[in-house]
Amino acid sequence: MKLRSVISWEFRHTIRSKQFLLLSLLIPAIATIAIVVASSAEGASRAMAEPPPPFIIALILAMILFMGAFLNGVMALYGVVKEKQSRVVELVLSSISAREMMAGKVIGLGIAGLLQVVVWVIAAYFVARQFMPISLASLTLVHWITYPIYFVLGYLLIASLYAAVGAVMKDVQSGGASSMVGLIPYLPIMFVAYIVEHPDAVLVRIAGFIPPFTPSVMMLRIGAVPLVSEGMRQVPAWEIGLSIVSLGLGVWLTMRFAARIFEIGLLMYGKTPSPRELWRWMRAKRAP
Amino acid sequence: MTQPVLEVTSISKQFESVRAVDGVSFDVGRGEILGYLGPNGAGKTTSIRMILGIFQPDEGEIRIHIDGHSGRLLKERTGYLPEERGLYADATVLDALAYFAELKGMRRADARQRVIQWLGRLDLLDWQNKKVEKLSKGMQQKVQFIAAVAHKPDLLVLDEPFSGLDPVHQDLMKDVIRELRDGGAAIMLSAHQMNQVEELCDRIFLIHHGRRVLYGRLDDIKAAHGEHVVRLRFEGTAEGLANLPGVAELSIQGDRASLRLERNASPDVFVRSLPAALTIREIVVTRPPLHDIFVRTIGREDNEAA
Repeated sequence: MKLRSVISWEFRHTIRSKQFLLLSLLIPAIATIAIVVASSAEGASRAMAEPPPPFIIALILAMILFMGAFLNGVMALYGVVKEKQSRVVELVLSSISAREMMAGKVIGLGIAGLLQVVVWVIAAYFVARQFMPISLASLTLVHWITYPIYFVLGYLLIASLYAAVGAVMKDVQSGGASSMVGLIPYLPIMFVAYIVEHPDAVLVRIAGFIPPFTPSVMMLRIGAVPLVSEGMRQVPAWEIGLSIVSLGLGVWLTMRFAARIFEIGLLMYGKTPSPRELWRWMRAKRAP
Repeated sequence: MTQPVLEVTSISKQFESVRAVDGVSFDVGRGEILGYLGPNGAGKTTSIRMILGIFQPDEGEIRIHIDGHSGRLLKERTGYLPEERGLYADATVLDALAYFAELKGMRRADARQRVIQWLGRLDLLDWQNKKVEKLSKGMQQKVQFIAAVAHKPDLLVLDEPFSGLDPVHQDLMKDVIRELRDGGAAIMLSAHQMNQVEELCDRIFLIHHGRRVLYGRLDDIKAAHGEHVVRLRFEGTAEGLANLPGVAELSIQGDRASLRLERNASPDVFVRSLPAALTIREIVVTRPPLHDIFVRTIGREDNEAA
């Protein structure tokens, strides 16, 4: 009930903000560029007449996911830091638990962000059609089922990570080591080429089960496996299942972790804690 | 005696090397205002944050009892006015307040209706659709107060409710706080304006360096610290006053005299002994104001510590 209030407040609060409008324009611009770049890099050899393979779509989706999650994650982070500075948190935490506040913020902002992203994915589809004979027929049932799951869970994971980072930040200027945490999920993007060419490599398969990497790695694998293995073979169902379970678990743990950081970090005004202090907080006894 | 609403038992809190709160115990009952006083940095806000569950005490226990429910925290039944104003600056007054009432468990429609009633009571109706950041300091203080009381809390913790308010609104605030007390709320109030505290509070807790210095009924504290004070305006000569029974100290400035009586000296004996030759224009016999008790007690504590 209260969680719903928080979600609805954060959602309304977000979609009315100027930053949100700005992001709404930024994301399609980036998506368009991504499409143009992807089609030209791949284009020469494979000829534009051919429908692009699903991994291109996976790549675009992964990019949009990360752009959206990154920008909205940063918004969540700013929001948290601002609430901390204006001491709104004190009043909020005297009404609801840190976990409710955290979850409400992540989900509320997440819904706003996802809505934004969905609109732009649809727009990107129509833009992409101008450049390549993109067809939804290249997507199989596996894509339709798994991509939205990875997308939403990946989004929640990143947003909670950012909210946790915001909770320990003193002000928006001081990033420090803690803000690097938010970059972890982006690591696989650096290895896109490798993942697409070797979607069955042991390292890639293992990375697919490690929550912060799961969404991008698995989306790319599912897109690339049928292509590389010259057949209709797909990533084994158990791997997909396990990766989703582990991602779900990862989201849950990150949210818990973030809520704990929230509980303590939000009220530590005026200083950014060291990793050692953070560890001490985590182990601090919870009140009965 | 009925069960208190707030029951604090020897709570302590350590920050790094500073013991911010050190073994503090007190309680607040229904329909009562407890003044929680102390100099800056004495541990007031830390105690309050522990009561609200924002910090956990290192030691000790906090219990809240409302209508047969008992617990560490009863967030829906508790209202809190933080010392530092904190509201969503870019939201409208009505939206922000309704949201906070919702977080206390009210339905949105009820929350909005109640908030509008309060905005009316505190002369803020014209501002309901303005953004919080556009408001003056005093108005923001009133808005913040509504955030603390809109859900009809049974336990109300007010940290500096008078800050930023002009005298007219200080009086309004006092009236509203009294109404809430008469409605049965247990109120814990921290403030620096001793004259306001004196007018409002039934009991006082004075904290200094994290420890209890004074705790009890305002009247009893005044009696215990109570050499009576006499202030008068006169015509004629007042030097003779120094020789009257029970007078410990006399100072005269122009047509005004101020006297301190000895401890245990009775004011009526003093008044009866006033010489007929002295024409008195004004006279006040009173216990020393809380302000003096506060300053003297804290000063004495610091001397002993030094």
